[in-house]
Amino acid sequence: MNNVTQIVQKVRQAPWRVQRQWIGLFLLALVLVAMIASLYLNVTVGATLAGRETISLQATITTNQRVNADSETKLAALTSISAMQKRASAMGFTPANPDEIVYVAVPGYVAQSAVDLSTPGSNQPPAPIILPEYTESWIDYFINKQASSDSTGGQP
Amino acid sequence: MRKHPHAWRYLVTISVLALLGIAILVQIVRIQASPEVASVIDQGNYVWKDYFPPRGEIYDRHGSLLAGNKTVYEIGLDLTANPDMPTVLLAVQMAGLDINEVNFRISLAPSDAQYIILDDFVSADHARALMTLQEAASGDPTGKNLDAVYFKAHYARSYPENDLASNVLGFVTEDNHGYLGIEEKYDNILAGIPVRMLVPANPRLATEYPTIPPGQSIILTIDREIQAAIENILDQALERTKASSGTIVVMDPRNGEILAMSSTPRLDLNNYQSITTVFPGETPFNRAISQAYEPGSVAKILTMSAALDSGVVRPDTVFFDEGYILVGGFRIVNWDGGAWGFQDMTGCLANSLNVCLAWVSTKMESESFYSYMQRFGLGHATGIDLAQEASGRLKIPGDGDWGPVELGTNAYGQGVSVTPLQMVVAASALANDGKMVYPHVLYAQLQDGKQSNTRTQIIGTPISAETAHTISGMLANALESESSAALVPGYRIAGKTGTAQIPLSGGGYDARDINASFIGWGPVDDPRFVVYVWLEKPQTNRAASVVAAPIFKEVIEKLVVLLDIPPDAIRQQMVGQ
Repeated sequence: MNNVTQIVQKVRQAPWRVQRQWIGLFLLALVLVAMIASLYLNVTVGATLAGRETISLQATITTNQRVNADSETKLAALTSISAMQKRASAMGFTPANPDEIVYVAVPGYVAQSAVDLSTPGSNQPPAPIILPEYTESWIDYFINKQASSDSTGGQP
Repeated sequence: MRKHPHAWRYLVTISVLALLGIAILVQIVRIQASPEVASVIDQGNYVWKDYFPPRGEIYDRHGSLLAGNKTVYEIGLDLTANPDMPTVLLAVQMAGLDINEVNFRISLAPSDAQYIILDDFVSADHARALMTLQEAASGDPTGKNLDAVYFKAHYARSYPENDLASNVLGFVTEDNHGYLGIEEKYDNILAGIPVRMLVPANPRLATEYPTIPPGQSIILTIDREIQAAIENILDQALERTKASSGTIVVMDPRNGEILAMSSTPRLDLNNYQSITTVFPGETPFNRAISQAYEPGSVAKILTMSAALDSGVVRPDTVFFDEGYILVGGFRIVNWDGGAWGFQDMTGCLANSLNVCLAWVSTKMESESFYSYMQRFGLGHATGIDLAQEASGRLKIPGDGDWGPVELGTNAYGQGVSVTPLQMVVAASALANDGKMVYPHVLYAQLQDGKQSNTRTQIIGTPISAETAHTISGMLANALESESSAALVPGYRIAGKTGTAQIPLSGGGYDARDINASFIGWGPVDDPRFVVYVWLEKPQTNRAASVVAAPIFKEVIEKLVVLLDIPPDAIRQQMVGQ
């Protein structure tokens, strides 16, 4: 009882102590809000920058596709039948006649077949654009983690 | 109680900070809740964007590009930026753009237009020249700059081989639609559809950006080397024979793959706008599939095959040719009007005797004969994957315009109309153990990096394998016995000429002009190609054996080299090893 009386007595003697505590609490709250705001700002800026980069990369992809198409068409024009025939003639080549051809049996020779333009690895499923780490919940994360540890463990 | 002398300062500081914080919070809530601000944000978050996905490319069977894409530009002018028009027009002219076209477009613009397209499908070179001028004029203190000029890159079709295989490929117009040939037939899979849509401008919504798939690329069965060779041969042949047009088709009878197909005239596909002058009036774009005609004696191979298969005749069946035969009350005579006496069936083919073949068809009787002709596909389109195929005409008993004499005349290719491709497909049965194959130009489609090849389809077996071998042997013997100009040393080839009169629209036949054709395949023991040659109205000679057979020979001489087919003796020796 004496202790309580003493505290009340001290506060009455120095009320600024209470005010200082309030200010301290207010500043603490302000700092917390500022921290949260900074974190939010940081994440937002990061996401925005990633978005900008995505847009920029998409534009680059479009430009590159266009450049590729142009280059492929130019290359095809340079290696067209008429262009190649002119170059061959200029170099002194002439079309082969059947009576000028010597046939030699080459074991294992496979005659030229039609082209296969499929992209290597095209049978693999496409990689996900957004990794699951960015979309899954904590629960999913732990379930997946548990499942992966179960499948890799268990060695007697 | 003793009051702290500076307590009021703390109170003021707390109050100011608290008020400031509250004001910020209120403002945040007000902005978020304001419908006016929300609408502005929404408008700014989404913008219209144009997407021009590339059209699928077209390759030949060995991967050479036949149709690709190139970058061209739409050049526009932002009128809201108050451009200096004389400067713009001068720059446009200096960059090499068509100033008349630009002026025309400006004249069409409405008075309240904010943006006008000065020109479209401008080549990259011209656009770059204008960009350079724009850069040089940028920041001009007098305001005579080109800042209001905008460039929008997009694709346009490009054909690196110009007119090579043009009759097969067709072309694409500026509105990205394919016309004729492959471009029309596969327009729906080749075309990447241009899309104009609202996309979020907010970078944080980048994942919402649409993915516009490009058009699928395709690989053709065409071999550009063979194609170039036959086009060259055809051009020389037309010059030599003064024929009005020509057609050559090369098909692999084992699987129906069209290795080459050419007819005249041909179009420079990069300048497709000239089509009306290159193909005046009703000129078919691809005669091989679109122009039916009376083939004449080349049809005798089908008649004889049918007769052999039905058992009406055998190769050694003897016919006494009196020089004429009466069918349906009409007198049918031979091409030379002569009587050829005793002839076996090979002799009938070798000497191309109309009387003999009319006798054969009448022996078969109409029901059996027309049943075989229909099984060979006459009168029906082959279904080839090219636009604008004609079906020809086979009159059959019961049709209003069919008469009994047709049974005799149809036997030697008169009174029946076919396209060159129909004859090639029918002949594929003779070259491929009796099995007739579906002709196609599409070798494979490419989607997402995967290639799916077209499968061989057998569309019928009109004759037995035995009959096919027999008729091939007879035709090879026939060519050898007459020392045909179609023979290629070292290779056994089966074939038949066809010299056909041209029917007149008012009835009867043209007394002057003829159609000269040749159909053949080889090597006889393992056919790798069927070749059809057709010259329309050759002027130097009226016999197919003189004008068409040598062209066939030239084609075969090229084919055996380009297809790596050694002479029969060497090939059989290699197989024996």
